[in-house]
Amino acid sequence: MTTPTYVLGGYQTDFGRNWKKENKHIVAMMRESVRGAFEATGVDPKDVEVGHVGNFAAELYAMQGHLGAFLVDLDPAFAGLPTARHEAACASGSIAILAAGAELEAGRYDLALVCGVEQMKTVDPARGGDFLGTAAWYDREAKGIEFPFPKLFGRLGDEYDKRYGLKDEHLAHISAVNYSNAKRNPLAQTRTWYMNEDHACRTDKFNSLIGGRIKISDCSQVTDGATAIFLASEKYAAAYAKRRGIDLASLPKILGWGHHTAHIAFDDKVAESAKNPYILPHTRATVLDAFKRAGVADCWGVDAIETHDCFTTSEYMAIDHFGLTAPGESWKAIEDGTIEMGGKLPINPSGGLIGAGHPVGATGTRQVLDAYKQVTNTAGDYQVDGAKRVATLNIGGSGTTSVSFVVGY
Amino acid sequence: MKIEKVVVLGANGTMGAGSAEVFAAGGCHVTCLARSADKAAEGIETAKNMAKSEEIADRMSAGSYDADLERSVADADLVFEALAEDLPLKKTFFARIDAVRRPESLVATVSSGLSIAAMAADRSESFRKNFLGIHLFNPANVIVGTEVIPHDGTDPALVPAVVEMMERRFGRVITLCRDMPAFAGNRVGFKVLNEVAQLAGEHGVAFMDYLIGPQTGRAMSPLSTVDLVGWDVHKAIIDNVYENTADEAHATFAMPAYMAKLIAAGHLGNKTPKLGGFYRRVKEDGKNVSLVLDPATGEYQHPAQVAVPRLPFVEKMRSLHSLGCYEEAMQAFLAAEGPEADLARKVVLGYVSYGLNRVGDGEVVREPRDVDLIMGFGFNWAPPTVLVDVMGLKPTTAAIEKAGLPVPKVLRDAKPGAPLFREPHVNIGRFFAA
Repeated sequence: MTTPTYVLGGYQTDFGRNWKKENKHIVAMMRESVRGAFEATGVDPKDVEVGHVGNFAAELYAMQGHLGAFLVDLDPAFAGLPTARHEAACASGSIAILAAGAELEAGRYDLALVCGVEQMKTVDPARGGDFLGTAAWYDREAKGIEFPFPKLFGRLGDEYDKRYGLKDEHLAHISAVNYSNAKRNPLAQTRTWYMNEDHACRTDKFNSLIGGRIKISDCSQVTDGATAIFLASEKYAAAYAKRRGIDLASLPKILGWGHHTAHIAFDDKVAESAKNPYILPHTRATVLDAFKRAGVADCWGVDAIETHDCFTTSEYMAIDHFGLTAPGESWKAIEDGTIEMGGKLPINPSGGLIGAGHPVGATGTRQVLDAYKQVTNTAGDYQVDGAKRVATLNIGGSGTTSVSFVVGY
Repeated sequence: MKIEKVVVLGANGTMGAGSAEVFAAGGCHVTCLARSADKAAEGIETAKNMAKSEEIADRMSAGSYDADLERSVADADLVFEALAEDLPLKKTFFARIDAVRRPESLVATVSSGLSIAAMAADRSESFRKNFLGIHLFNPANVIVGTEVIPHDGTDPALVPAVVEMMERRFGRVITLCRDMPAFAGNRVGFKVLNEVAQLAGEHGVAFMDYLIGPQTGRAMSPLSTVDLVGWDVHKAIIDNVYENTADEAHATFAMPAYMAKLIAAGHLGNKTPKLGGFYRRVKEDGKNVSLVLDPATGEYQHPAQVAVPRLPFVEKMRSLHSLGCYEEAMQAFLAAEGPEADLARKVVLGYVSYGLNRVGDGEVVREPRDVDLIMGFGFNWAPPTVLVDVMGLKPTTAAIEKAGLPVPKVLRDAKPGAPLFREPHVNIGRFFAA
């Protein structure tokens, strides 16, 4: 990055909540996350110069568009605040962060608020699954199909199987690790749920197949949630650090970013990568760009990864695309414990999307907030000891829009 | 503390099956005992449905008291009693357990309020030292709030180990209570529920559930909650407190006469769907309709007949909550004028006052946090100090005084400006529904 973007921290709502049951409007979720972020960081609302919202489909789930405008409602100091909402399916939150970061780098503003938000428990699962289908090429890949996304990510597993071989027990292990990590995360959706590897390995009435090889235990669940973070220029960060009596150097930065978009249709992606060792080469390029911009040689230059495990197959893909193993050999890092807490490179200490939850538009901001918590040693029971750099990977659609950040020092 | 083998007594009951699920989910092998192995197997089915897993049953086995109790208890690390709330019955089983248990094994009861000391009376020294209450709430796999209740004879070194194990291994949020009637959660919670039931005799069921609804800091309206819990359970809890305590709110534990009469006629709430409780659910043109009890006559009326006129301050609170403005909503509650607002404040501030008065020397819990956690995570109600924080310390204290209620020492000693509720990972918004 030309000029550094600092992460000042933020706030995540409890992803176990059901806001429809609480009879609340989506603005309540935004308000709680933003108020919480002010409390957590000590940032003065008057200092915020621009607001960005990441959200996938509030028009469908909550019959509400124009979410950027709702930021203005959250604090009297926000009257007139320039805001915008960003959409790139499940990568919406990261796209909002990129937009804010670009404005800070350009010198337009010194302090940006980024709020990722999604309310999904407003409709029954079948209808929600149909809404999610709009993140694919709806007419070609989702229309009239029950739960299109598990099927698309089941096909990602099938493609691995075809090219390299894939054992479902490795997918079950990914699920068990994420659920197990989530038990230590007090804001994780599944922290009280029952799950283990034996259960995830079984196919029965409680763990049925819902899309090809994808079982319920392979899926992230329907989640309500919001995350708000503050990003700052060096000028603001220096003043902020001084005011709080801390070193500027103690504030983590977004060290690097990557962003690529592939063909939206899954068939087109697979056809494009037929001769490539990486099934999703644009996702691979995204990660490499983030590492390069961060000055990190490879994945072993980071201490933990928060990746996009909307399904176990997406984490399986992330393992070799991040470079933990050679292409097609993700199972090795699963078998030898590399990805577990205490392993050589823990993946999703938070529990990830499967364990912590996947409120679609809030996932990218949640990942960066978790990266911030890890590198500032404030992740509590899911802290990775001594973490100084954490990489994120946030994916929209069936491997379509990929965004990666490296957060740390 | 090493707990690998657990025996659950009363495993076919709601709390027994739920407890078995919690221990099996924590990785223990659980022997489920009931009058017959078939009954115990029903409990395992319940546990599977709670966990949404067939696999959990791999660590569970079913047996009967006659054939399997002595053998399984002799081998157990933890014997967990979830029998009916019947002291002589429990004592009979504790005598059998005492005769065969290993000296270092833990024995616990899930009782929701009977005297732990009375259950341990007549038992061996070893039993008494290793015996305490572990009060899980229903459904145990979802409601994480849990009370741990040692009696005077419990080995003091055991208590922190049990608390840590329940928190870390079994994912519980623990309130440590003294061995007093109904412990902390039910003492404070049923004070409110019964007070609302008393007031319903005068003001009507629908009105009271509207007035003290989710907007006052609870997931479910009070009288619907009593229907869910069961009127028999409600009666057992408040009678126990009424007979065995004498505190500032004693009168609020007196069973309303109309409820006693209906219980005698078999009305126990949701568990007796044909008779009902405060509500009776019927089908009307294929749609579910909740008929509403008229306490004066014992008859059930169509909801249209007892429609409650909307109160502006209640609607304002609901609207503010729906937007996430919890402080503003609860401050509007304190500021509202009129007899209805006075009545609502009497109940809600009565809860704050009564709850925080149960803290301190000779009381049920040591710290405000203890009563907060069990109300928040056992009842899904806004913890007392959360209400104080959102309404403001000084205005709340003044309103408690104005309502003629005792101001708790916790509030008299509190410093203005510093929040009383300090649980960084708890979203306080979750306690307020619109």
